[in-house]
Parts: sequence; structure tokens; C-alpha cells
Amino acid sequence: MEELTATHFLLLSAALFIIGMMGVLTRRNVIVIFMSVELMINGVNVALIGFAWEQNSMVGQSFALFVIAVAAAESIVGLGIIMALQRRIDTIDVADVRQLRE
Amino acid sequence: MSTEVLVFDILAVVAVIAALGVILARNPVHSAVALIVTFINLAAIFVMLHAEFLAAVQLLVYTGAVTVLIVFVIFLVKVDDLPEFYGGNPVQRIFALLIGLALLGEVAAAILTRSAIGASDIWTAEAIADAGGNAEVIGQVLYSEYVLAIQITAVLLLVGTVAALVLARPASATLPDRVKRTGLISLAHPRGADREVAAALPAGLEASRRGETSGVRFDDRGVILVDNAEAFTDQTAWGGDRLEGDD
Amino acid sequence: MSDLLFLIPLLPLLAATINFVFGRRMADAQTAWLATASIAGSFALSLAAFGNQLDSDEPLTQHLYDWIPAGLFHVPLNLYVDHLTAIMLLVVTSVSLVVHIYSQGYMAGDPGFYRFFSFLPLFVFSMLMLVLADNFLVIFFGWEAVGLCSYLLIGFYFKRHSANQAAKKAFIVNRVGDFGFATGIMLIFWKFDSVVFSEVFARLELVSVDTLTIIALLLFTGAAGKSAQLPLFVWLPDAMEGPTPVSALIHAATMVTAGIYMLARMYPIVSASSDAMFVIALVGAITAFMAGSIALTQFDIKRVIAYSTVSHLGFMAFAIGVGAWVAAIFHLFTHAFFKGLLFLGSGSVIHGMHEEQDMRKMGGLRKYMPTTYWTFAIAAASNAGIIVFAGFFSKDEILVGGWLDHQYALTIIMFGAAFFSSLYIFRAVFMTFWGEERFDPEHVHPHESPRIMTVPLILLAIPAFAAGVVGLPPEDGWIHDFLEPAFHVEEHAEETASAIAIFQEGEEHAEEGHHVSTAMTITFFALSTVLAIGGLAIAYLAYVAKHPAFDPRAWAERAGPVYDLLYNKYYLDEIYERLIIHPLYWISENILWKIVDIEIIDGTVNGVAATVNYSSNQLRRVQTGFVANYALAIAIGAVIVIGIALALQSDLLG
Repeated sequence: MEELTATHFLLLSAALFIIGMMGVLTRRNVIVIFMSVELMINGVNVALIGFAWEQNSMVGQSFALFVIAVAAAESIVGLGIIMALQRRIDTIDVADVRQLRE
Repeated sequence: MSTEVLVFDILAVVAVIAALGVILARNPVHSAVALIVTFINLAAIFVMLHAEFLAAVQLLVYTGAVTVLIVFVIFLVKVDDLPEFYGGNPVQRIFALLIGLALLGEVAAAILTRSAIGASDIWTAEAIADAGGNAEVIGQVLYSEYVLAIQITAVLLLVGTVAALVLARPASATLPDRVKRTGLISLAHPRGADREVAAALPAGLEASRRGETSGVRFDDRGVILVDNAEAFTDQTAWGGDRLEGDD
Repeated sequence: MSDLLFLIPLLPLLAATINFVFGRRMADAQTAWLATASIAGSFALSLAAFGNQLDSDEPLTQHLYDWIPAGLFHVPLNLYVDHLTAIMLLVVTSVSLVVHIYSQGYMAGDPGFYRFFSFLPLFVFSMLMLVLADNFLVIFFGWEAVGLCSYLLIGFYFKRHSANQAAKKAFIVNRVGDFGFATGIMLIFWKFDSVVFSEVFARLELVSVDTLTIIALLLFTGAAGKSAQLPLFVWLPDAMEGPTPVSALIHAATMVTAGIYMLARMYPIVSASSDAMFVIALVGAITAFMAGSIALTQFDIKRVIAYSTVSHLGFMAFAIGVGAWVAAIFHLFTHAFFKGLLFLGSGSVIHGMHEEQDMRKMGGLRKYMPTTYWTFAIAAASNAGIIVFAGFFSKDEILVGGWLDHQYALTIIMFGAAFFSSLYIFRAVFMTFWGEERFDPEHVHPHESPRIMTVPLILLAIPAFAAGVVGLPPEDGWIHDFLEPAFHVEEHAEETASAIAIFQEGEEHAEEGHHVSTAMTITFFALSTVLAIGGLAIAYLAYVAKHPAFDPRAWAERAGPVYDLLYNKYYLDEIYERLIIHPLYWISENILWKIVDIEIIDGTVNGVAATVNYSSNQLRRVQTGFVANYALAIAIGAVIVIGIALALQSDLLG
């Protein structure tokens, strides 16, 4: 592994993505879950940019930019939902949010 | 081992450790700080990947905007009141760990056995420099091939903003709205909560004379609600002598 | 000049739009003059374009915009004027102009006046787009748009049931042809990766002759629908339900010739396939003969002319089929004038007879409406192919072309059709304008039409009489030189040359395709003149002189079943009714409705609902409400999917 290759970036990407996923699966605080989702998104971005770098392409970077833009929109809505949760049912513990069942 | 790889390894290791910090920290504020560290490391890695513009955007949007938002929200939602987050189901945590490891194994296998490398595009480092730099080239690509996507993204951001406004609106702001929608008039008199007063109102008298119970209602705060103002044109204004209950 | 091309179709479109939107509030005269002025503008510009093409072999083009820039499927919207287009432009705009003027008199007082004068320019716009197209998609747009205008104008008197029926019939029968046309275009795009004429024609070598035959036949299916060829001509006679100026413009002069024009445009494709050419010639000849024979027995003056139109379209298709491209366009050119004039003349008669269309209730109108009579007679002579009249030269050239292409049997059929042409049209002339007055003088007072209608008749009579000069001398006239660049008939040069060698009087093996010996020209002139005069004479003897040997009723009885067959238009409508419409109804009712709709579709819908209802009740138990559980399910799904993908990629599963 003398040269820097896309494999490096892909492994980093996978690590970030999976760490984020574990966070989503194990944590109960909505805010931490939200941060874990941001981690996963960043992992994907690393992969996109890594591929773009490997192939001298701009498409990967463009898509990463879109991902960031969409993630920004997502964070607005996600944090709005957290605020609403806190206000309506006075908790941000996902274990207490069970209205989805019915 | 070249310097490049060394730098990358340091950045990647720090990023991964910080990421672990995000999901392991007990205090959400610590998680947020770890998240910032991850983001900054990733921005540095983006620079290594010749994605300078994205690195800047990463810093601005994530480290700047998103994490600040997160911290704000953490302060707003009274973290101290929350129960300990580790009180979750241990079976689920073990299960999640297994799944994560399985996925890691799969993805690592895919990455390490990867052989297909697509045809190289035209944007080598020299070509980018000739075209005027990374930001310039991204602009070109975005505004030629992805114009529609840009427009849709803009609309998405607008919708997101509106959605956040609606979601984060204080609950009390919705009440007058509800009243308007149902066409009710609220008589928020201090003594309005008194059911006898309500029953003595003209509308209530009218209704009780006809043997009905409707005409005057209470909402959950004890405010008297009626369907229209006409019901009060003949009212005796709270404790007046025409209230039959006073006789 | 080429920068102004867009005005040619745009002016009528503007007039149509303004009249349609504001027409209700405008005075009738305003709408009419707006429409007429716009067509006059188009006509002037067309004249300019034509003048430009007169001494130039370089086509005029104007790029308007890219209609569909979808990668490989790139369709520009270009206007394109070469010699062929220039002639078509002249025909379309000049006849349109005359018809617009005429309609001001004919439609006067009609409650739908403004509607008429918005549909008519709309039609002209569509037709001009069709003619100016430089690719298949634009021509198809024009093609469908003229079809729509035709539908709107046939059904113009929409309160009349028969008009609605006729409009629907025209639309539906045309759909059959359009289906073929659209399929042909798709096949062309599939095979050539382009829909632009010049690009497709440049790549013809890339595909086999069989494919080209299929494409040519599909295109001809479209042409057969629009240009009323067998077996799709049934809509055209019924289309006479529309106002008479519409019949003149759309169903005689312009729209129905779109098919012929399209085939001429496609000549590199069509001429590459001798099989397709033969089919076209065969269909054209049979159509010409059948329609001509039907016209002999009809009594409605417009129907006679309608069948005459079908017959002459058959002539043009035959000309295409035998490779006489120039003759086909030449006949299209002359036909537009004399057939338009015949319709306008019949419109004038109908107008003067208080909406009477049955020739059995006319007669002796010559002295009441002299202008109409004389112009109608000129057009009739042209239609019949009396020598010196325009129709003679163009029709004769088609017959010569057929003979040169070895289609001897078909050419003889065409001679029969030519004889019918003369017979039925003079039958119409004599029944209408000569003989005793068979109308009820108490109620009907025939009168000449107002000047706004007779002036257009005179205007059209000039080309109907004299348009033949552009084809003089035969086979080597001005029009031949002019259209030659549009048809580089190289392939046919050899065939024609050999045909001349076979022809007994061919003195020399000519190198070029259009060499015809003088002796042959004279022979054909003589033959067709004899036939035309013969038809005229028989019609005169039968309907004016009342010669007992030619009594039409006696002949009708003598012919018996043949007469019935002709009178009932070969029972084509009845055959379609039996073979297509009845089975269609039966299938719709018994299979599509009772089985497919009720059993299968309704059953499926209800079944799906029931299944969903049941399974959701079962699945509801899975929903725990824990967000973490849902996330876990997603993660497990990801692991499984990626695992499957890896396994498929590796050798694990072989």
C-alpha cells in the first residue's frame, strides 16, 4: 500500500457509514441519532469524491454537492421534527415515540 | 510509505475515532464536538482528493451551519431532563453490533476484491487547472449538465425551510387557528368556566328550552364556545339580574 | 429571404388564433378579411420563395429552434424550401387565397362564420408546416394537424348528425393510415438513428432493400389514408358533409395531396424498392378505376366530384408507383386548380339552388348562372383531359410514364379511368347545366352567385385552363427542368432507357430517363383525346340529345348487378361494417366488457383490495412502533441485499 488509492477512501467511507449506522441502531436520543445520520451521509460523500478522484471525473463531486444540499434540507426538517417532538410529547427518547404503531 | 498515505492515515484514523466518539459519548454536546472533529478531518481529506470547493462547502455547511443548529437544538430540548440513553435493550445493541460487523465484512470484501475501474474522464488535475480551478469546473458541470437538478434542489431547500417553520411553530399559535376553522367564538371571561353562567346564556337557555344540550360548549380549558355571536346579543353580561340562576 | 420563411406559416396561425379567441366579438367582415389578408401575405412570401428557387438550386432553409434535443434523438425545427416545396407552397397558398375570398360569399350569414375563418387559416398553417418540414416529426405534426382541421371542418355543421358521423369517419379511417405512417417513422429512426430527411437519405445504403420496402409500404399506408387510396378512400366522399369551400381546399386541392407530396419527398426511399413501387402503382390504378366507375352512377354533384378526386389521386399514386415523379407533381399542380374550381363551382350551384345537391333536380342552369357554367365547364374539360386544357398534359404524362415502366396492364386500366373521368364529369355538366329544368320553379329560383364568389371562380379558371403550359413541350417542359433537381432519378434512368429500347418505335437508346420519342407522344395524345372526346360525346348523347341508344336508365337496367355494385360504391362501406365494425362491437361487448372489464379488471381491483385488506391486518402485528426496530430492519435488509449482490458477483453461486 505504497500509493494512495481509492481503496483507502472506500474503506474510510465504509467505516464512517457503519459507525453511523450503529449509532442509529443503538442510541435512543433523537439528536444523537440525527448526528449519526450525518455521519453516514458523510461516509457516502467520501466514497463519491474518492471515485471521482480515481476517475478524474467531476460527476462524483457534483453529486456530493447535491448530497450536501439535500442533507442541509434534511437537517432543517429533522431538527424541526425534534423541536416538535419535544414540544408535543415532551421527550426526545425514541423509545417513547410509539405513535407509528397505529 | 509515502507522505501522502501517512497524512491520509492520520486524518482517517482521527476521523474514525471521532466518529466513534459521536455514537459513544454520553453527553450529546460531546457527541456534537466529536462530530465537528470528524467533519473537519473529512474536509481535509476532500482537499487531498482535489475537491477543494467541496471541502469549503463541507466546512461551511456541516461544521458551520449544521453542527451549530444541532447544538442549538440540544440546548433547547433540555437534555438534563432526559433519561440515560444507555438504558436501551442490550439484545438490540448486540444485534446491531453483529449486523454492523456483517455489513463491514461484506463491504470490505467488496472493496478489497474490487477490480473494475471505469474509463477515466477528462478532468485531470491539469485540465482542472486549465479550466480555472475546481470551483470553476464544478460550476460548469452543474450549470450545464445538472441545471434541472440544481433548480429542484433549490425548491427542495425552500420547501425544507417552510416545513421547518411549520414544525417549529409554538403549539399555542395553532389554537386561534383551530377556533377560526371550527367557526367558534371564545368567551374567555374569568367566570366563563362556570357552567352555570354558560347555561344562563340566551343560546343555552334557548337550547335547554328545546330540550337540547347543544348551543354552548366548553373546550378543554373551560372556555365557553358558541357557534355565532348572535347567541349573545341578548346576554345579560355576567352576573346581571336576568341570570335565572341568581334568582 | 430565408430569414422570412417563418412568416409563411406564422401569418395564418396568427390569424387563426386571433379569430378563434376574439372572433366572437369581431364583425364577420373583420374576421374574414383578417384571415384573407394573412393568406395573401403567405401567398406573397411564397411567391418570393418561389422566385428565389427559380434560378437557384440551393434550397432555402431556416432554423427556428431545436424541438427535441434529447441526445441521439435530436429533432430541429427547420423550414426547408427546395423546388418541390416551392411548387407546393404556391399551390397551397394560391388555392387557399381564392377559397378564402370565395368563402366570404359562401359562408355569409352563417352563425359559425368566425369559427370557419379560424379553422381555415389553421388548416393553411398546418398544411404549410407539412410542406415546409425537413424531418419526419415535423411532417407528422403537420400531417396530424391537417387531419385535425379536416375533422373540425367536416364536422363544421356539428348540429347535423351526418356531419358528425362523417367527421368521425374521416378521423378514424385516417388513424389507420397514420398508424402505418407513425410505425414507418419509428422504423426509420430505429434503422437510421435520425428523423431528418437529408440524414436519412444519406444513409440509405446502410439497410437492406427489404427493410426499405417495409418502410416505403408503411409510409404508403399513411399516404393511402390521407390521399384516399384503396382501401381507405371511404372517408373522402363522406367528407363532403363539410362546407363546399372546405371540400375545395382540403378535400380536393391540398390536404388529400399531402400523401402524394409525402411520397414524392420520400422518393429516395420509395424509389429504392421496386416492390413497394409496384404496390403503389397497383393500388393507385385500381383506386383510379374504381372511384371513376363509382362516380358514373352518383347523383349528388359533390359526391361525383369527390369520387373524381379519389380517382385522380389514384392517378397521382400510380405516377409515383411507376417512377413518373415529375408527372405526379405536375398532375397534383394542375389538379389542385381544376378540382378546386369544380368544387367551388358546385358550391356556387348549390348556393344558387338553395342548398340542393341532387343533380336530378337541376338542369338548364346554364342561362341562370353563366359565369359558374363557363368556369365549371373549363374545369370539367381539364378534368376530362380534353386537349389544350391543363389536365390533359399532366394526365397524359402519367399514362406515358406507366407505359415506359412496363406496366402495360395497369396503363390500360388507367386509360379506362381516364375515359370514366371524361364521362362522369360531362355527365355532371350536362345534367346540371343543360337539358330541361327539373327543379320546381315555384320554390327554387336559380340565380348567379354574388361577385365575391364568381371572381374567385374566374381566378381559378385561368390556371385550370392554362396551367398545362408549364409542362410544354411534353416530357421536356419548364416544370420538368424545375423539378429535375428534386428527383435525381438515377436508378430509373436505366430502366426507362431499356423500356424505350423495348418500345417498338424507340429509335435510340437514350441515356437520360426522360427521353420519349415524338411518335409515342403523339400516339398517346391521340389515344387520350379520343377517349376524352368519346366520354364527352357519350355524355352528350345520353343526357342532352337523349339518343335512345344511350339512354342512361336503359343502360342501368341492362347492366343490372354491375350498376348496383357501382351505385353502392362496391359495397365497401357495407363490407367494412360487416368485417370490422360488427366484430369490433361484438368483441367490445362480449369479451372486453363482459369478460375483461367485469371479470378480470373489476375482479383484479376488488381482489387486490381484499388481499391488501387481509394482509395488512396480518402485517399490522409486525409494527412495534419502535423506531429502532424499523432502522434495524433496514440494516438487515441492506446486509442481505449486499450479500446477494456479492454472491452473484463472485463464484459462490457458479
